[in-house]
Amino acid sequence: MADSALPPVVVVERLSKSYGARRAVSDVSFDMRHGEVMGLLGPNGSGKSTILRILTGYLRPTSGRAQICGFDVVAQSLQARQCVGYVPEDVPLYAQMRVHEFLTFMGQLRGLDRTSCVRAVDEVIERLSIGPHRSQLIGKLSRGYRQRVAIAQALLGRPKLLILDEPTNGLDPRQIIEVRELIRVLANDMAILVTSHILVEIERVAHRVAILLEGRLLGVRALADATIGLEELFLSLTEGEPE
Amino acid sequence: MKGLSALIDKELRTLFQAPIAWIVIGVFLGLTGYSFTLTLFNNRYATLAHIFFQVAGLLLLIVPIITMRLLAEERRAGTLELLLTAPVRESHVVLAKYLAGMAVVLIMIGLTAAYAVVLGLYGTPEWGPIYSGYLGLALLASTLVSLGLAVSAFTANQVIAAIVTIGISFFLWMVDTLAAMLPDPLERVFISLSLLARFTPFATGAMYTSDAGFFISTTLLALFIAMRALARR
Repeated sequence: MADSALPPVVVVERLSKSYGARRAVSDVSFDMRHGEVMGLLGPNGSGKSTILRILTGYLRPTSGRAQICGFDVVAQSLQARQCVGYVPEDVPLYAQMRVHEFLTFMGQLRGLDRTSCVRAVDEVIERLSIGPHRSQLIGKLSRGYRQRVAIAQALLGRPKLLILDEPTNGLDPRQIIEVRELIRVLANDMAILVTSHILVEIERVAHRVAILLEGRLLGVRALADATIGLEELFLSLTEGEPE
Repeated sequence: MKGLSALIDKELRTLFQAPIAWIVIGVFLGLTGYSFTLTLFNNRYATLAHIFFQVAGLLLLIVPIITMRLLAEERRAGTLELLLTAPVRESHVVLAKYLAGMAVVLIMIGLTAAYAVVLGLYGTPEWGPIYSGYLGLALLASTLVSLGLAVSAFTANQVIAAIVTIGISFFLWMVDTLAAMLPDPLERVFISLSLLARFTPFATGAMYTSDAGFFISTTLLALFIAMRALARR
């Protein structure tokens, strides 16, 4: 669970992002602490991925600010990115690379020296149970193993924040259960921000949920304290909102 | 710097693991070898000036094939997001891709040094114009690789990247032909932008720092544009 004695890992203040006249994210604020799993829940196009891309430094906010481990994601982008492990939604990987080559490459990008990189790669390979596939071409892996490789690269360098964009998309039921279990275990060591447009996915893994609609944050609730289920909570918050 | 060397290593592996680099090098050497042999047997002059112009012409076509995938493919496959959210500078991503592209082209140009060796063994060539010719080719290649990289940064489509780069390269190569139709200040500007006008002195044994400066500045400008294109998101 979240450690309130430590400073927040993520601080987002009045974050907005516009593409021309269209507002993808509007005035969103929240924070996260170590050990916390926070779910961003909302329908497709509600701004979940845009928020994640701003936090990872891939997009610049139009206004507002975000900090990760005390580093501003725009002004101190490199330091902020050093604290983040990120798995984008469609799991983009280099299909022509072998699993261990890819992980070594990503470890080097994270600034790990040769010895630490070898150790870190072996560690994530074991943690994600991808040992038998370490010499296989990524392009030949199944969707489930590609997802594991993507999560493995995000764990290199022991980030303080793990960001997972729709991590169970396209997985079979067994793989979905494994990813949920993995999130629970990883939450002992870091803060995890996970998005989904599926209620049950968030309900199963998150301590808190932030509900988004058309770029606006409708509310943030602790799931353990909620007197009503997530489904009722979502309906009550989105009642009267345009679809 | 660890990130930069990892990026360069990855780019070189990607370029040389794909058959395209080897095919391009093979076709390039076949064409230049044919031309060198034919010209040598017909003229019997111990010079490489004609080879330098032919290589320069081939570079206008071949470099865009090498550079088209550098950033466009990363954008298409979505791996650009993976790269740019890792703790590496955009300038390092661009520099690594430029250096990898240059490595392929320099290997290609370097292999034509075999023709100079043949001239040295069987004749008495003037070595000054040969050295300056190779320097000119390296500088021209630098401009073309950075130009191709900049174009590749704006699209996710490799074919579009290649065609646009070929178009711009050929236009810059022969832009001095337009100069004759323009009034004086513009005439000089257009001549000064011509890759052919800048390259010719190198191929014929004359070297001017202004020409070298032109190739270096256009390289830096194109790399800057590529970086800005990556930052525009």
